[in-house]
Amino acid sequence: MNNYQLTITVDDKQVVLERILQVTRYRGFLIDGISADVNTGTNIGTIHLMVKSERPIELLVDQINKLIDIKSVSVDNNT
Amino acid sequence: MNRLKNMASDQKHTGGSLLFAVLQEHGVKHVFGYPGGAIMPIYDALYDSEVEHYLCRHEQGAAFAAVGYARASDKVGVCMATSGPGATNLITGLADALADSIPIVAITGQVPTAAMGSDAFQEIDVFGLSLACTKHSFQVTDINDLASVLHQAFAIALEGRQGPVLVDIPKDIQLAEINCSLDDLSQLPNKVKLPPVDVTNAISLLSKAKKPILYVGGGVGMANAIDELREFCNKTGMPCVSTLKGLGAIDPENENYLGMLGMHGTKASNLAVQESDLLVVVGARFDDRVTGKLDEFAPNAKVIHFDIDTAEINKRRKADAAILGDLKINLPALAIPLSIADWQKRCQQSKADNGWRYDHPGEKIYAPAVLKEISDTMPKNTCVTTDVGQHQMWAAQHMLFNDPSDFLTSGGMGTMGFGLPAAIGAQVSRPTDCVIAVSGDGSFMMNVQELATIKRFQLPVKILLIDNAKLGMVRQWQDLFFNGRLSETDLSDNPDFIMLANAFDIKAKEITKKSEVTAAVAEMLDHDGAYLLKIKIDAEDNVWPLVPPNTANDKMMESI
Repeated sequence: MNNYQLTITVDDKQVVLERILQVTRYRGFLIDGISADVNTGTNIGTIHLMVKSERPIELLVDQINKLIDIKSVSVDNNT
Repeated sequence: MNRLKNMASDQKHTGGSLLFAVLQEHGVKHVFGYPGGAIMPIYDALYDSEVEHYLCRHEQGAAFAAVGYARASDKVGVCMATSGPGATNLITGLADALADSIPIVAITGQVPTAAMGSDAFQEIDVFGLSLACTKHSFQVTDINDLASVLHQAFAIALEGRQGPVLVDIPKDIQLAEINCSLDDLSQLPNKVKLPPVDVTNAISLLSKAKKPILYVGGGVGMANAIDELREFCNKTGMPCVSTLKGLGAIDPENENYLGMLGMHGTKASNLAVQESDLLVVVGARFDDRVTGKLDEFAPNAKVIHFDIDTAEINKRRKADAAILGDLKINLPALAIPLSIADWQKRCQQSKADNGWRYDHPGEKIYAPAVLKEISDTMPKNTCVTTDVGQHQMWAAQHMLFNDPSDFLTSGGMGTMGFGLPAAIGAQVSRPTDCVIAVSGDGSFMMNVQELATIKRFQLPVKILLIDNAKLGMVRQWQDLFFNGRLSETDLSDNPDFIMLANAFDIKAKEITKKSEVTAAVAEMLDHDGAYLLKIKIDAEDNVWPLVPPNTANDKMMESI
């Protein structure tokens, strides 16, 4: 299992967090931790997601990036 | 923005009437649906609308009709259903559209916002359900958002890799009144941002290749890049193969076209792909039904992958060169002449050596021969739909198409029950073209209620029902891989299909012998209205070739 920490910025739209969690589970990644907050001035949310999987992280990054309300996804570590 | 400004500003609307105003803004003339409690205000507004509604007899039928409508044309399909069971019945159609990247917009009624979350009558969290089976979804909780959401729904359905979008509208929003000014609506900025294309590496791979193969998928038709693809074929002279969804993109008369690849692909296609040293993959995604055992798929080939969806690059097979973006622009950049005469000749010889044979012994009807005869005699621009199973693979193998929008089949999801409602949608979409639904006796029964839709709208859909009184593909697998233990695949107690068709005022005929085929096919094609031709085939007939599961594509079975 590889552990990864993702930082995802999003437009604070309906069920955006639920969408990210659904894609993460479906694409074969387990969630170890999550934190999320929203800048109410800009309506931009920032989500830190700790995940683990045997699968390459690019698979998940590409799929999260496809979600409509996502602004950016980055992998902070690759351990 | 002119299009939006043409709409009279400050017009009084309810949510329901605004929905149809926006649909018309997007050029929607036809919708497929089924009314119910939580969508009644929308159906009330429909009563005054110019949008034509096709009442299907099950919400799944409405969803597949919308899919067929979209796939047969370049239009967006629209379907509507009420909350709860109406919405859940749409789900299979949405999943099918997601798997095959079809642009549809689904409108669902929802219980009033005040009742939401209280387990109200016919309440289900369709917004939650939609996450796994749509490209995107919305729930409208403010009438002021409705028009904007609908515009976004159409934009998202069509942009980049197309797909289904669901808009859930609570009943109070449908009833709410608004003084509408549509000209201040913002359009969704295109989310698809792709890196600039660099073809240097791809050109280098292509010019070095001695045994290249062009592997064409459904993306070509959806990108409207058929001309560019055919020009690419002509310039490069590359031997080419097609996926199930790609059929029709390559000119079927192209001497270098080897047919479909994959589990039921032609021998010539699969052998050539396995031997190739370069795969040029265009709008395709290395689906497991295409690759067989992935580790052994085209083991010596480098890969150039053209797609619009970044997430498909390196998903199942690493690309040595990725070319992201619009195929119409990107394909010509690689259309260079190649020196591959020996390889072309070998592929053409293999195609000649492994051609289809139709000399089936005995008097019983051989389905592949019937499908070939229909393919040879059907009018130009005929649109064929299929259900799922043996008949589907036979249609893919033995019929030839000039455009992917002429062959509508449930590829990614493999949904039985697709063919009949998809044919209804295709016929509404292309009223002057011949539409033929090729079905099997198992699949046909899955949405058989849509015969009532054919009757209601007097649609001249032709139905070829290939009847082996079995779930034939499952039976074939049981014989091949489950020691002949025929669990739950016998359908010998099927209803009388002729009487069933007649009950819906559909002319029908059954044939059982080879000698009857030519006349019966002609009668079906010549008939003005709907027609069902049932052909009785041998229940032992199998689809060949077949690559067994988790096996390399060159190890296909060709008989028992």
